[in-house]
Amino acid sequence: MKPRWTGLLLLIAVIVVLALLPMLVNNFWLRIATGALMWAGLACSWNILGGYAGYINFGHSAFFGLGAYVTALLMGDKLAWPFFATLPAGIVVTALFAIIIGAPTLRLRGAYFAIATWAFAEVLIQFASVMDFTGGIGGIGLPPFLDERFFYFAMFGAAALTYLITWALFERSRFGLKVKALRDHEPAAEAMGINTSLVKLQTFVLSAVTASVFGAIFAYWVTFINPNSVFGGDITDQMVVMVLLGGLGSLWGPALGGVALFVVNRIIWMYWGDTAFYIAILGAAIVLVVLFLPNGIAGLFSRRGAKSGAVLDKAVGNLAGDGQGGPS
Amino acid sequence: MSAAEGKTAGAGDPILVVRELYRHFGGIKAVNGVSLDVGRREIAGLIGPNGSGKSTLFNLVSGTVMPDRGQIRFDGHEIGGRKAHAIARLGLARTFQIPAMFDNMSVTENLLVAAAEGHWRGARERAADTLALLKLEHVSDNRASDLSGGQQKLLEFGRVIMRQASLILLDEVTAGVHPNIRKIILEAIARLRERGITFLVIEHDMEMVRNVCDRIIVMDAGRVVANGSFNDIVRNSEVMQTYLGRPQ
Repeated sequence: MKPRWTGLLLLIAVIVVLALLPMLVNNFWLRIATGALMWAGLACSWNILGGYAGYINFGHSAFFGLGAYVTALLMGDKLAWPFFATLPAGIVVTALFAIIIGAPTLRLRGAYFAIATWAFAEVLIQFASVMDFTGGIGGIGLPPFLDERFFYFAMFGAAALTYLITWALFERSRFGLKVKALRDHEPAAEAMGINTSLVKLQTFVLSAVTASVFGAIFAYWVTFINPNSVFGGDITDQMVVMVLLGGLGSLWGPALGGVALFVVNRIIWMYWGDTAFYIAILGAAIVLVVLFLPNGIAGLFSRRGAKSGAVLDKAVGNLAGDGQGGPS
Repeated sequence: MSAAEGKTAGAGDPILVVRELYRHFGGIKAVNGVSLDVGRREIAGLIGPNGSGKSTLFNLVSGTVMPDRGQIRFDGHEIGGRKAHAIARLGLARTFQIPAMFDNMSVTENLLVAAAEGHWRGARERAADTLALLKLEHVSDNRASDLSGGQQKLLEFGRVIMRQASLILLDEVTAGVHPNIRKIILEAIARLRERGITFLVIEHDMEMVRNVCDRIIVMDAGRVVANGSFNDIVRNSEVMQTYLGRPQ
């Protein structure tokens, strides 16, 4: 059987299993599956900018948090918006923030961009911690809704849509060609008539709004958020490691890395009661991936192979300067 | 014509006009008052020793580097200070001295990138034609980074063909390549010229300059020092001094 058909059948099988899962498992496992779908989607949203465009964003949790806070604020007692009405509002707010932050920071490259995005997330943590309307450091509650199936299908839908959009835009359109070209050689992409500033900003906004949707669903799901729970740097750290483990710049790699690491996280939590050991595993995973699997798990199944890590080389090279670093 | 006359003359109806162009990097006067014309359908050679400002001039004309001052007019448009993508969209394409590959993309995708902005209709067919013209069909699915140095030069040349440009700047496109690849490139240049495309070519290979270029512009220390036919240039004492050194 041709690989293309094998892949399609595998995809259909995964979708069928995921659609039937709520009928097959209890609420405990359904919550784990919901979390796994969220992380698979978040890893994909980080990969949109980090993997396809080669811009390493260390402040991606900012957009997850923005989506969460917009939903929490709009669903509060004062406004009492229905959940689904908060989603477009979160997308608009996040897109505006992404444009305002992205326009100047995307002129930077490599480590300069990474530091700028990290600083942006830190600013939002501090802002949410001191403002009254966000509930300050104490956080903010949402109306409880205890239907695990609803949140499972909400995460499933959001993840499916994120991957569908990513596939259509980055694997099947000329927009994807432009984004990958600027990742590999920005001056040459400009010389091909590509407005790299605009394409980078569009990619940044898409990456941001997809993260915000997961933040919105997450806030409603857990019914309580505070600055650290949605803006925290560890959220971005996990996305980065999930993508590296799964395969930077690949479509399915982030899903594999996201599910694998989240399941490991939950297993450790089940047996040891806390996840401190998980942090050590994240660190070890980065070292092992860089040394032995630069194309991640996805590389094992691609023609490129597991060890030829050119996308990782490019991203790390960009981060370290490599001739294109610094303000442009 | 000598540099003292202020600018180099090309054929009538120039497609590229450069006037009093300056770009200094700190104390280095990379381009220091260059004026030149390139006529339509012409193949103009740009020669000069290393560090004479040829590649910087390309970077200025293509928008990769912004000029300090001076005028650049391309096909009736003032392009000095415009961004590179805007200049490319007007119909100017270039190669880089070191091949600028989209490393993680296939050879075919590299060609398609060149058509992604403005020339998408029929791009796949044109990419196939370009692969055939440059004899790269057998590596069409390979990653660009896996190609040899000569094949990368070919691929970069293929990308400028795909741009359907009216003016192509080639920066040492045949430097260090196998004679077979050189032959492919020269044949392709000849075919493109028949279609009315203009070339400005940086080259150190004097054999190629003599055989391909209609006119030669010589740069030294950021200035144009001579301009004319190959025979005029080799008889020019200032050019000989530029290449062989001045008597002590």
